[in-house]
Amino acid sequence: MTGPVLLTTLFPGLVWAMAALALVQVWRRAALWRAGAAAPVAWLDGLAKLPRRYLVDVHHVVARDAYASRMHAVVAGGLLAASVLTALAILPPLAGSRIYWVLVALAFAVTAVGSFLVGARRYPEKQKRLSAGRFQILPFLLVAYAAGGTLTALLLALGGGGGVLAPLALLLAAAGGLGLAFEVRHGPMRHAAAGALHLVAHPRPGRFEGRPDTALQPLDLDAPRLGSEMPADFTWNRLLSYDACVSCGRCEIACPAFAAGQPLNPKRLIQDLVAGLSPAEPAYAGNPYPGGREAEGERGPLARLIGPDARIHPDTLWSCTTCRACVEECPMMIEHVDAVVSLRRHQTLERGALPEKAVGPVTDLRQAGEPGGRSLAARTDFAAGLDLPVLDGRDGVDVLLWLGEGAYDLRYGRTLRALVRLLRQANVDFAVLGAEERDTGDLARRLGDEATFQSLARANIATLARHRFGRIVTADPHALHALRNEYPAFGGHYTVMHHTAFLLELIRAGKLVPNRLEDVSVTYHDPCYLARYNGETEAPRAVLDAIGVSRREMGRSGRRAMCCGGGGGAPVSDVPGERRIPDLRMAQAAETGAGIVAVACPSCTAMLEGVPDRKAEIRDIAELLLQSVEAGR
Amino acid sequence: MSRLRRDPRAERAAQQIARSDGASPRPRYDRTQRATGGRPRRDPRAERAGQRVAGGVRPRYEIGQVSRGEGPVLAPRPQAAPEAVAPKILILEAPAFLIAVVPDAAGGRLSAHDRQVLGAARTLAGRDGGVVILAPDACEGIGSAGADRWVRFGDDAAAYDPAARAARLAATLGALAPRHVLFPESLDGGDLARRVAARMGAPLFGNAEVVAATGVIRPARGRRVEQRAMPGLLTTVAPDAVAEYGGPPREARLLDVEAASMAGRTGPILAATRIPADPATVPLTLADFVTAAGNGIRDLDTFRRLVPALRATPGASRVLCDAGLMPRQTQVGASGTVLAATCYFALGISGAPQHLQGVAGCEHVVAVNTDLHAAMIERAGLAIVQDAQTVMEALLRRLAVEADAGEQVA
Amino acid sequence: MKIAVLVSTGRHPVSGATVLSRLEAQAIRLAAGLGEPLGLHAGPEQAVLREALGQGLVRGEHIVVPDGVDPVPALAARLAATKPDLILAGRRGQGGDETGLVPYALAETLDLPLIPDVVAMASDDEAGTLRLDQSLGRGALRRVLVRGPLVVTIHPDAPAPFAYAYGQARRGTIVPLDAAPGTVEGTGPTVEERPYRRRPKLVKGAPTGGSAAERLKAATGEAGTAASGRLLVDPDPDEAAREILAHLRQIGVLAPPTRPSIP
Repeated sequence: MTGPVLLTTLFPGLVWAMAALALVQVWRRAALWRAGAAAPVAWLDGLAKLPRRYLVDVHHVVARDAYASRMHAVVAGGLLAASVLTALAILPPLAGSRIYWVLVALAFAVTAVGSFLVGARRYPEKQKRLSAGRFQILPFLLVAYAAGGTLTALLLALGGGGGVLAPLALLLAAAGGLGLAFEVRHGPMRHAAAGALHLVAHPRPGRFEGRPDTALQPLDLDAPRLGSEMPADFTWNRLLSYDACVSCGRCEIACPAFAAGQPLNPKRLIQDLVAGLSPAEPAYAGNPYPGGREAEGERGPLARLIGPDARIHPDTLWSCTTCRACVEECPMMIEHVDAVVSLRRHQTLERGALPEKAVGPVTDLRQAGEPGGRSLAARTDFAAGLDLPVLDGRDGVDVLLWLGEGAYDLRYGRTLRALVRLLRQANVDFAVLGAEERDTGDLARRLGDEATFQSLARANIATLARHRFGRIVTADPHALHALRNEYPAFGGHYTVMHHTAFLLELIRAGKLVPNRLEDVSVTYHDPCYLARYNGETEAPRAVLDAIGVSRREMGRSGRRAMCCGGGGGAPVSDVPGERRIPDLRMAQAAETGAGIVAVACPSCTAMLEGVPDRKAEIRDIAELLLQSVEAGR
Repeated sequence: MSRLRRDPRAERAAQQIARSDGASPRPRYDRTQRATGGRPRRDPRAERAGQRVAGGVRPRYEIGQVSRGEGPVLAPRPQAAPEAVAPKILILEAPAFLIAVVPDAAGGRLSAHDRQVLGAARTLAGRDGGVVILAPDACEGIGSAGADRWVRFGDDAAAYDPAARAARLAATLGALAPRHVLFPESLDGGDLARRVAARMGAPLFGNAEVVAATGVIRPARGRRVEQRAMPGLLTTVAPDAVAEYGGPPREARLLDVEAASMAGRTGPILAATRIPADPATVPLTLADFVTAAGNGIRDLDTFRRLVPALRATPGASRVLCDAGLMPRQTQVGASGTVLAATCYFALGISGAPQHLQGVAGCEHVVAVNTDLHAAMIERAGLAIVQDAQTVMEALLRRLAVEADAGEQVA
Repeated sequence: MKIAVLVSTGRHPVSGATVLSRLEAQAIRLAAGLGEPLGLHAGPEQAVLREALGQGLVRGEHIVVPDGVDPVPALAARLAATKPDLILAGRRGQGGDETGLVPYALAETLDLPLIPDVVAMASDDEAGTLRLDQSLGRGALRRVLVRGPLVVTIHPDAPAPFAYAYGQARRGTIVPLDAAPGTVEGTGPTVEERPYRRRPKLVKGAPTGGSAAERLKAATGEAGTAASGRLLVDPDPDEAAREILAHLRQIGVLAPPTRPSIP
């Protein structure tokens, strides 16, 4: 009986040893996170909500890849169940129960199946988006631990613990298990520990409450250092979040800049932040930044991250369109865009290192309240001949129409004219701010110039405070996001509607009666700042359905739509790539065979209109609706 | 001008020939010669010519009398009249006062800007005043540009020493005692004027856009306001703001002015060399002549050979830059570079609105494109609807032939 | 090298906001290539110095001079005291009178040489000498070797200014200085101001002194390039080439065919 007794002690002991080793490894890792800045974290609340966050929110993302979802459920569930069950076998009554060991064996068997599923993604050939390196040994460790565990548990269940088989099985399980635990510091298993902690201490807890928590956090302009220059400038829970990265590469598939061959790969960026923190981090083994630049420069919590000679090239930073596609796809809930903006803030505010072409627009924003340096009074020039009421001197209106930057654009002026005519037809009591409307500062903020954004936000809020209006309607999702989500931090609380939602409301109220445009096929391109930043994907589609066009969906649509390349200051940064983002998006639109690409954003209009040799027409939803409303006359 | 009234009697009369013996007139045999179509045909060119005094120098005061008749009252002015009849030189013996003009006269030639300054000076001088030009020896055509007097003033040497030049000028002006001194508001002229102003302690009215004896006007505060003042001693005249002198040539008599000669004090400038602009490397914003390639060009090697052969600066449309075929800094257009070139030569560019924004400031546009309806063809001063590729090759051939011819003769 | 950059109160051409004039921002950039640029501003407010600190200035000195008072004596007194090796200024102001006279008046008062319209600067091998590239327009340059101290004005073709960095503006120091006593009101010529009226630019090739009709014809392009606008549809390529070369030569951008006169 010495054999089984020894085994029933050693086996749970192994799991406890694994747990201890993992704890030590996490502790060593945590020392690095402590280099980060302080951050307020609601620990108890986070801990209480951890299961829900994991099972609902994370699962929702993971389930988009059915294979990965099943694989993870099996392997992680099995691993966790088997390990916990085995660990509990330290209790003599359980250790003595053969049924219990059957249960344990079953759990290990499930893990083993999962391990093979894991292996199948990497052998014989690795899926392209996955990273190699230490991840390549993960299936072996898993198989060893699972197979060894199954065998040991089976031996215990059968009561035959003697023989040479038992020590061998235990040794196999120990090799795999301790290997897995060891990997918690630098290897693939880090994602489990850091990921769980990240879910507890997530910097944007609002994401799990069902509301789009997408507003950039205001920067304290009196802080000793503005933005992030080195890993230690990030808050500790952000450093933790980067450690949660499991290198699955979903972000890189979603990233428009990566697809266009611009030097940005979100996975690589996060891994560079991880590697920048710790010189001991093993080499990155995934797809490189397009262009193939190798990381260089010093590493460590106090090493400079950005620079032509540092770990991350500035072009990588300026390639980002802040479309949040990577954030949307990330199963570990990492906030890539926040990282990019934080790094940009340092570049812009402390070093004045804006991309050359962005200097002009940002300077004009600061000095003239408008990125083109044009007169604010010229914003309403698009409406020449239309009766466009100006709020100044009027005693309050229902709807304040926020025109935004697009008003200066010749093409987009047509859309705004259509919108104004629709509002007139529906007898909406509306007005514009006229020469009092400044830019919302969206461009400055995405490019990291928080000082200019804040001064513009304060000026706009002061202007709006002088007027009485019911709600704000805007056709510019970027302005909408700033007004709705980012101005509250500065004391501006408004009800802001996108024009598509407002037009839908007018249709539903019977104030606009669209006629059916049957013979038109339309595919709708979701603006990032409407769909992903604000979760509004249905209103524009409902308007299109009310018009009666035949609506086709692109492969990527709704919250998972691809960016047009016009956000985050990318058009002014103009980082060279191999292709252009709008060309890629128009090619996707062409696949649907639709004759019209419906848009709902001035940036998308400008970017998609600029695609050479495009077959489809670019029409704003307001233009289509006006056409349908007027078709009856 | 009112429409000509038909006069049937006159028409009939025109078809008759008066007899010398007093017999009743007989009809013409050749009726085509005179007013066959009823209403006489108007000849606007002849009318306009008739509205000018002989020689075409200025319009007639009374223009009504000229074109009423059936035929031109005056014989049409021969085209080459001003050259053929040597114009009378206007001589002003004793000018009541002097208006001095200090032209750039780079390379010993009056620039268009210099002529405009002379025109401005002529307006200030009126009938009684004299315009005195301070120009170097070799300057041609100063009389016809409006100068009554000429003071020899120029670079003693090729050396660049603006301070010494200003000192000499101040001394010369002191001896001349003109009522006003005008400079062109150019790089060198503006610099010289300010040096003289600082040296003489006289106020300078810079960048005047209107010059008249009743007042000079200049823009200020970023062209938000304009400042008006009576003409002072020193004024610089903005380019392309004032018309050149268009009257008969003037005498440009040489005046000898004794100015204190400057001691040969060595200035702080040790050396100065001119570096001419290299069209291949000059930034697009500064380029004078840009040759740009667009989507219609398949073989960029030919383009790359053509650009230096034309001594042009290379440009490109967005599509080529996006495709990486041309460097990004060559992109012309709203999102690339906005040009200020004298001439833009567009090869295979259809002319998207953003691209046309980039060439809006170009004085001349030459376009080659296969599409007759391309916006660039419409914009161009010389538009050629042809495959850009074959035209480029033809251009290269022709340039090579010309170069060969030059060598052979040499 | 001690470099002083003269900072004036600039105005944004559209919004009218107080800004650092672009030329001075370019001056700061050129100065930063040679040493530490120090700013000197004479005027009632110091806001523009703060702006300049954000664009590369290391330290600013602010001489409090009331509005409408000639800043030259105050600037000259300070510069005479600090004796910088190089004094940089924009060739013209931005948003003020835009006469471009201040650097000349300073150079005259301080008895320093002045080199105008510089687009690039470098220290020469010989100590105390500078190599300055002056713009002659259209990318042509005059390279001047000059011995300091001197006053230099900057041309718009100089490299673009540094971007504004809020953090640097926040950190930079501004030293307030009292104006030297005895500064008197600037006495310029009496000028009358009124809103700017845009005047038609002269059209090249327009007849001088012609009739109004002729000038109109020239101005509306009937006699200009548009009128002579020629369209050749499907010409022989060689014919097209001949036309193009002739046209380019007529405009004057292409040199005439090689003359045999120079061997």
